Amino acid sequence: MNRNSAPALEAPPPVKRRDAVGTPAVPTGAGQSKYVPWLYILPVLILVVGIVYVGIGYTGWVSTLDWNGIDPVAEPAGLANYTQITTDPAFWQTITHFAVFALLTITAQMALGLFMAVLLSGSVVFARTLYKIVLFLPVILAPAVIATAFRSLLSPQGSLNAFLTGIGLPASDIAWLADPHLALFTLAAMNIWQWTGLSFLLYQAAIAQLDQDLFEAAALDGASWWQTFSLVLLPQLRGTHAILALTGCIGALKTFDIVYLTTGGGPGRSTEFLTTYIYEQVIEQFHAGYSAALSIVLVILALLLSTVQIRAYRFGEE
Amino acid sequence: MFNRPSLAARIICQFIATIVALPFAFVLVAIVAKSFDGAGVVANYEAVLTQTPFGRSMLNSAVISLGVIVLVYTCTMLAGFAFGKMNFTGKKLVFNAILAGLVLPTIALVVPLFLMVQRMGLFNNYLAVIVPLATTIMPFTLLLTRNYLAGIPDEVLEAAKLDGCTSFGTLVRIVLPLSRPITAVIVVWAFLQAWNDFFLPLLFFQDPDMQTVTTIPLYFTSTYGSDEPKIFAALVLICLPVAIAYLCLQQFFEKGLSAGAVK
Repeated sequence: MNRNSAPALEAPPPVKRRDAVGTPAVPTGAGQSKYVPWLYILPVLILVVGIVYVGIGYTGWVSTLDWNGIDPVAEPAGLANYTQITTDPAFWQTITHFAVFALLTITAQMALGLFMAVLLSGSVVFARTLYKIVLFLPVILAPAVIATAFRSLLSPQGSLNAFLTGIGLPASDIAWLADPHLALFTLAAMNIWQWTGLSFLLYQAAIAQLDQDLFEAAALDGASWWQTFSLVLLPQLRGTHAILALTGCIGALKTFDIVYLTTGGGPGRSTEFLTTYIYEQVIEQFHAGYSAALSIVLVILALLLSTVQIRAYRFGEE
Repeated sequence: MFNRPSLAARIICQFIATIVALPFAFVLVAIVAKSFDGAGVVANYEAVLTQTPFGRSMLNSAVISLGVIVLVYTCTMLAGFAFGKMNFTGKKLVFNAILAGLVLPTIALVVPLFLMVQRMGLFNNYLAVIVPLATTIMPFTLLLTRNYLAGIPDEVLEAAKLDGCTSFGTLVRIVLPLSRPITAVIVVWAFLQAWNDFFLPLLFFQDPDMQTVTTIPLYFTSTYGSDEPKIFAALVLICLPVAIAYLCLQQFFEKGLSAGAVK
């Protein structure tokens, strides 16, 4: 840590001397010469390049090998691992699962979060802080905790079935996480439970910053509640929609802990995600080369999806 | 959005809000309630604290969290200042290159990380978890911090410069004191991610003495079998520090998150 920040700490003295000569072309707040900004960025850059970029480069190289991850000798395999992916039914299953999971979780989180943010804006509802805490607490809990808790609560003898039976529904022994037709949707519900609080919080912050005159003007013009909502409020929240859709999409692609700890991708492959499949291939099956190729596909997919979304929303522009 | 709602409208809104919030509350309450079952509250929590290396795992998680917070905060503030308040060629390119780390799933780095840790002989060493974890958190905190610091008026920094402040002096004396909300976000977020991480400790810590709190449930399921109340008591204890941190810094956290994320 100290080693990384040391160059930046020692940077300032020469800066001052150079500034005395003058750098009028750069009208920024902080005094600087050409290399100074780089000293500030250096620690982050070293870590990101040293771990992320070196890691990806290495994974890219391994993906062209026929290797079990242990032997000192690995056979070059060219693009064989990649051609194998295109015909691997398990891979295409993980893509379908991702699409279903992302669509369900993003839509539900955004809709629920926005709904609650609107409902709790102003002072209509009593004890708003309590609702806020209840919605946001799941966001801060560890996936390992949530997975353990849900595995027990959602078991056939668990609290959810007991509750459903208690209110008179015929749900005595549903295996929420062990039924191949249900498990993916149960995982989506768990994800919605955990992350709706974040959507809610960001929407709430965005709504609080909006100009209240807009709504008064709409009311004066005789706009209905629905018109005010869909024509005035929704477009104003464009930036928040964009951030949530983007983070939701990346989050769905990254989902690992909660699946690994509840269903482990099963039953069968009914909840297999690309991440759990990569883990299974390298740790359990010793297919390091194939797993690396899957990782590269995952990285490309993540970059592609976020680039498309950033372009679509023109998010991140100054 | 609502102008002077009637009492009936208020009751309906309260009712709807409660209906939506109930499933969220149900799970939270169920977790706590379950930890009271079986042998009773005292016996359950006592068993967690005395019959498992719980204290030790708390300590491990605390060390990792502290390391991650310090590393993330230092790097984020330095880089956030440069990206938010300085002009230089290649700024946008480098920023986007760092931001790309945001979309990267840790799982894609399993094999290279494993080999790096192996080569450097860092198994069962805190650094093996702290450094990669901090790196994966940084792109997000940097994005928020850059946005937040860009909002500080240039005039303030110009004044500091005229008074003879170096750029680093400006960062320490002017920018940091103005950055409390975003500092709260960085600290809370880094703490959450570090405390809650499950995967890296599982991969790099084989020594039982190095277990972190998130791996305790695993230990429990194998040791206690179906003694669920004790497992849930452990879950509650695991969540307590982050819940307290969030509740204490709630106002700062929300202010900073909205200032950094909603522009």
